[in-house]
Amino acid sequence: MTDLPSGSEAPGSRRSIIRKKHDESAPNLKPILVMEEVYKYFRRDIPTLRNVNLTVHRGEFVFVTGPSGSGKSTLLQLIYRQHTVDSGRILFSGRDISRLTDKSIPFLRRNLGIVFQDFKVVPHWTVFENVSVALDIIGAPARVLRVRVSEALERVGLAGRGNDRTGALSGGEQQRVAIARAIVTDPALLLADEPTGNLDPQLAIDILTLFQEIHESGTTVLFATHDHSLLQSAPHRLVVIDEGRVIEASQGIRAWSARTTTATTSTGSSTDAAAETGT
Amino acid sequence: MSLQAIFQRTQRGFRHDLRLHAVAVVSLIVAFLCLGTALLGIENLSRVADRWSETQHLTVYLRADASAEAVAQLRSSLTNLREVSKVELVSAAQAREQFLQQTSVSAEPSVLGDDVFPASLEIDLSSRLPTDRLDKLVQGISQFAAAEEIETYRTFIGQFHTLLQAGRTGAWVLSLLVLICVLAVIGNTIRLAVLNRKDEIEVLKLCGATDSFVRSPFLVEGVLQAVTSASLAMVLLLFAYLLMRGRVETTLTTFTGVSSVFLSPITVACVIAAAGALGGLGSALSLRRYLKV
Repeated sequence: MTDLPSGSEAPGSRRSIIRKKHDESAPNLKPILVMEEVYKYFRRDIPTLRNVNLTVHRGEFVFVTGPSGSGKSTLLQLIYRQHTVDSGRILFSGRDISRLTDKSIPFLRRNLGIVFQDFKVVPHWTVFENVSVALDIIGAPARVLRVRVSEALERVGLAGRGNDRTGALSGGEQQRVAIARAIVTDPALLLADEPTGNLDPQLAIDILTLFQEIHESGTTVLFATHDHSLLQSAPHRLVVIDEGRVIEASQGIRAWSARTTTATTSTGSSTDAAAETGT
Repeated sequence: MSLQAIFQRTQRGFRHDLRLHAVAVVSLIVAFLCLGTALLGIENLSRVADRWSETQHLTVYLRADASAEAVAQLRSSLTNLREVSKVELVSAAQAREQFLQQTSVSAEPSVLGDDVFPASLEIDLSSRLPTDRLDKLVQGISQFAAAEEIETYRTFIGQFHTLLQAGRTGAWVLSLLVLICVLAVIGNTIRLAVLNRKDEIEVLKLCGATDSFVRSPFLVEGVLQAVTSASLAMVLLLFAYLLMRGRVETTLTTFTGVSSVFLSPITVACVIAAAGALGGLGSALSLRRYLKV
């Protein structure tokens, strides 16, 4: 883990925008994230996550899905150390993040990009300020900062909007600002916690497309959602969390779909298809 | 983390909580004005005390029925003393005249009779005498029949010093109150600023900001608030002083014998520096309590 963005490059370089297309059929087999027998309790008798085992390889795009309250957000929060595991371990780039001291947590987060359902942008800041804050934190020089922020804004389709007040933007645009902030440091892993939850279906598809473009440029993405339409629209690996357990692969999605089919029959079969494709 | 970046973030913070900071600065200006006024008073009273302490002067009030010969004998004896450098006779009429000149009494001078003030011998000593020698001199003078009363001004100066000491103690107490006031005002302002910028702090933490990165602008805000308030208070005090001096300087100088002065540049610099330190301390204490990062 470093204190600097992993993709640090010469100022003004366009490398972070134009990258070689990532081939998901031949992913880098080196794992970036490994969760081993992870348990998390918020109530003493009922674990929110139980015996979670999950490996994410570099360059993968992984959907994490499951019903509301199943533990998707908790899983992500353990990765960015909002919470600590009660037992088990989480290896990020080979290091056990559950053993990090409080003072080391900022340095973990500098290697992650995090996008939230409620955007978490500062409304009275400009778009530029909201994106550049991630680079400010790592002490990037002003010139590098300007170049990389404008690159990030271009990637999310907000080129030239740097001086706009963020609070005046639409929901979809605010989420793009949040995504630009998450990718501007070129993080090793991009975590998205229901990033389309507050957006209408068309905007949700747009945002997912944006994440896929980011993934195609080489970024590992962990995308938590319970939106079936998104799962069926993109053929990626699918991890289901149900009652705190991770059920990987088609077997898992079938079991989960069987329960949800009663409510949404067509969605259940489509997520199955997506799961098959993704595994 | 560069200083420029910290100041940019501080500036953004000021912009966001402009009203909050303005109210805090006004409150602090009042506090520093009180402190500055007290210091100004002490500074000038000290000057008066020093001036009066240095006065090596005696006044011998003469009996109304003292003969000219007796007065001349006393005057001659005093002039011959080694400790005495000058002896001047002020008659009752001259004393009355001096009083009328110095006090600018607008009433008819004839209201004051010719014998309202006693005649006196004003004695300048050649050097400051130790208490025992002064007592001996006073004792010697009192032996003369012409001398009715001898004023050494020691009692008055002693009382004035007591008053001055009380003033100094008051200034210390006021300084303590100002200290508490500054800590409370800045502490509360920073607490409110932290609450106002809760979302911003959360974003910073999620992006990997360290504790010092999150805290530094708030700390600078506290210091700048206090320094700005203290500086403005000093400027206001100077204006008030100049305004007052034009009106009462003549009277004050007449009564005290010294002209008034404003606080020395070193005192002003110390007040501003102390304000900065207090501001930093106030915000640090507040951040420690209210900003868990």
